[in-house]
Amino acid sequence: MRTGHFKESYGELVALTDSSVTRAWVGLLVVALLLLPLVAGNYGLSLATAAMITVVGAVGLNLLTGMTGLISVGQSGFLAIGAYTNALLLADYKWPLLASLPASGIVAGVLSLLVGVPSLRLKGLYLAITTLAFAFIVNHVILYAEGLTHGPNGVFLPNASLLGIDVSRDRPLYFLVLAVTILVVLAVLNIKRTRIGRAFLAIRDHDIAARVMGVDLVRYKLLAFVISSFLVGIAGALLSLQIRFVNVDVFGLILSIEALAVIILGGLGSTAGAILGAVFLSMLPELIRIAFSTFGSTQSVTYTTYVYEIRGIAYGVVIVVFLRFKPDGLIGLWRDVRRYWTNWPLAY
Amino acid sequence: MRKIAAAGFAACLFAGPVLAADPGVTDTEIKIGDVNILTGPASFIGRAVSIGSKIAAAEINAAGGINGRKIVIATEDDGYVPSRSFQALKKLVESDGIFALSGTSGSANILAMLPLIEENKLPTVVTTTPNELVYTPVRPSVFTIGATYQDSFYAQVKYIHENVRQQNAVYGVIRQDDEFGAAVEGGYDKAVKEFKLKDGLRLRFKRGQTNFSAEVLQLRAAGVNALVNGGIIAGAANILSEARKLNMDLAVASVWSEDMPPSVKLSQPAGYPYILADYVALNDAATDTYVEKAKKYLSADEVGGINRYSYLSYVGLKVMAKAMEACGKELTRACTVSELRKIKNFDTSGLTAPISFDNEQQLSGRELKIYQLDPKAGTFKALVDFKRY
Repeated sequence: MRTGHFKESYGELVALTDSSVTRAWVGLLVVALLLLPLVAGNYGLSLATAAMITVVGAVGLNLLTGMTGLISVGQSGFLAIGAYTNALLLADYKWPLLASLPASGIVAGVLSLLVGVPSLRLKGLYLAITTLAFAFIVNHVILYAEGLTHGPNGVFLPNASLLGIDVSRDRPLYFLVLAVTILVVLAVLNIKRTRIGRAFLAIRDHDIAARVMGVDLVRYKLLAFVISSFLVGIAGALLSLQIRFVNVDVFGLILSIEALAVIILGGLGSTAGAILGAVFLSMLPELIRIAFSTFGSTQSVTYTTYVYEIRGIAYGVVIVVFLRFKPDGLIGLWRDVRRYWTNWPLAY
Repeated sequence: MRKIAAAGFAACLFAGPVLAADPGVTDTEIKIGDVNILTGPASFIGRAVSIGSKIAAAEINAAGGINGRKIVIATEDDGYVPSRSFQALKKLVESDGIFALSGTSGSANILAMLPLIEENKLPTVVTTTPNELVYTPVRPSVFTIGATYQDSFYAQVKYIHENVRQQNAVYGVIRQDDEFGAAVEGGYDKAVKEFKLKDGLRLRFKRGQTNFSAEVLQLRAAGVNALVNGGIIAGAANILSEARKLNMDLAVASVWSEDMPPSVKLSQPAGYPYILADYVALNDAATDTYVEKAKKYLSADEVGGINRYSYLSYVGLKVMAKAMEACGKELTRACTVSELRKIKNFDTSGLTAPISFDNEQQLSGRELKIYQLDPKAGTFKALVDFKRY
């Protein structure tokens, strides 16, 4: 019997969910995502792919900032490292995608130790500035290490294939990104319920208290950086597969800010929130486009012409509104709605 | 049952879209795509590009269209961000169903769009960013108009060497640390080696840098009196302003964007009569005729936004229209590409040198005209007519 928060065994305590309704909804979502290519055109698939890549990156950042409380605004650097590693291994070293994809995450993860070490002594804004500096350094190295990175010219990716399937095409890429997204989400949900995840949460809530309780701060802070950067590196590699060209201009610092906006809007610390935030903000321009097009062609042209200014304003408004009225983010809103309907008609 | 499910999944995985005849062409119209910088600090470039395309389309449509079909421009903003250029073109191709591409945004932006352009065999004329990487290697459906930055700076240094600083010249370059800056230094390097010039100092700076006091002090310490100024707009103006503070006697070579009114306004107070080499006309009968023509189709506000990028996108779309016209009623992308390859000595009414794509690189309009600014009047005078370097 389902008994709210009362658990009768350790198995129940660490299960992903004890709700058959949740399982059914998640199953339905996965089936819908699998069937999406049958109904969506290539542009729709491209948008969905971009949204899922954002999900991978956001879930990675959420593990570091939301779960462990270590603020990073250097994610564009790790994204660039992942994208460049994948691009260079595929284009210059002719590695198979099966090897270059995990290698992108590993290189980003290993290099994150460079930022992770200062994080042992720094917190809050000081750590944020350190990670920001790291992103600058990454851009600088990419531009100046021309022999390795092709410098400012960037790298064109060849048509990559996985198990004989050309993933430069929209559908196979969509399925690849979907598979990686599911794996990443499952991995992070599982990490959250292990000793490691609980240590992360303890560090976020009070690192000194966590240390007193036996949490090894050095180990777990570095681990948070490595896992988070690994995931962001994978997101970068997927992004490079989608665009098929990487250049420092692709990884502007605004990406780091947008990534923080995604997890704040979704609900800091919640994996489901990071997913919701990523999908919502990725689809926001399209939602606004649809809204404008319903008011006639003149408004539609206005939107097309000023899409990024309108998007920027919408980003700002949405974030301010959520911070003021719903600091728990989209996931908090979702919980409220769910609670309302669960208790209906006795909702309060 | 399992086999049917597997077959269904495989079909869903591998099946591509069923393509009809080339998209973007109906009995009455041809849809041309335009990915541009319409927001952010560089938006005046994108707006100028859009204005140029608008004039060309209006002129063609007023004359009856292309074999009876009107040109419709579908514009998408990319905010100067390469990943957004990719998504914008994806939308234009997949959702709006464009036939060809005319506006191609900035250097990194067109590079990010190239895989998609190649995949869709999209006839594309690149006019605003003639980056070497666009035509090397040659993409069959991509045609480029314009000289390289390398050629532009080589031409200017050559001019300075032969006409301005014939004796005791010490050359220096200050440039951005990106692919554009590398091209600037490439032209400088070529000239320095060819004419055995005294190479005083080479400096790099990060895009967006605004304070150049340290760099200009270094240039003065190195005795530089002939400067290749690789700054753009505010950056270029700040470099000149710092040099004026130090009373440096400089012959200055500049980026072609320095011929636009906002750039001139910023650089004028420093008082340097800088030179520049551009592959588009600036202030002669050709541009006067163009502006008069524009007044027929545009608002006064839009006419005020005309600059070199408007002339270029106008030329690009006119060349594209010429090729489409040659295809007759059976307009396809393959035919347009084939006809673009046959373009020879297309007259641009003096806006650029005549356009010919009948060469291996599908590259034209590389001839440069050298101009010099009159800092008091804020106008340019032509020093050397269109010439290939």
